[in-house]
Amino acid sequence: MSVTETIVESADPVVTVNLPRFGTCSYRESEVLDFPWGLPGFASLRRFIALSLEGRERFVWLQSLDDPAIALPSADPWQIFPDYAPRLPPYAISSLELGRPEDFTLLCVVVASPGAVEMTMNLLAPIVVNLRTRTGRQVTLETGGYSVRTPIPRKAPAATAGA
Amino acid sequence: MLVLSRKLNQAIMIGDDVRIVVVAVDRDTVKLGIEAPRTIPVHRSEVYEEIQRTNRAAAGEPEPKAPAERAKVADLGKGRRAPSKE
Repeated sequence: MSVTETIVESADPVVTVNLPRFGTCSYRESEVLDFPWGLPGFASLRRFIALSLEGRERFVWLQSLDDPAIALPSADPWQIFPDYAPRLPPYAISSLELGRPEDFTLLCVVVASPGAVEMTMNLLAPIVVNLRTRTGRQVTLETGGYSVRTPIPRKAPAATAGA
Repeated sequence: MLVLSRKLNQAIMIGDDVRIVVVAVDRDTVKLGIEAPRTIPVHRSEVYEEIQRTNRAAAGEPEPKAPAERAKVADLGKGRRAPSKE
């Protein structure tokens, strides 16, 4: 298992970790995302960092800092489903202290079949991140009839939504 | 596990603010009414278990083909849209 080493002594130290999936990676302490409720299936994992790979910025990997072996691929749902219209339940809004829309963002977990032949996105339970407090929670929508495994069309619309 | 017997229209309290009422009983189906603060998520267990399975399946994906040192911290705020609130 990798060892975390703090390189720079400052109010916002740069931390370098060695990750099984991504190798050596640096981040600032202020960029860490806190998941106080864990994630379903990974209830004990609280600290994550959002990583993207060069040339594949459409995917965001939620890399656990508590268990370096765990990284969940996710993406902005509107890149693929421009009509996605989640209504966040009250518990999400109060627990994450969601205020202005620009303060938070959504990521939906992506599952790929072996060989990435087929990919699905969890539109039922988006991960909501308050960018101001850097706190996140996976929230189950109560309306909208969204599926946990919504097939991603092979020819996804260009990533122009919201641009 | 605590096991309680309840008749139709009887209820149990969980803590001070969660109340569960037996609304209807029909053969092997029990309808429950749940009164809970809006800050508490209430879901069927199957839904939560399905989300758990999906997260575990996602984390178990094969390694990405990109070189390791290319991973960098993602810009979560860039060009993203926010959802509507209830």
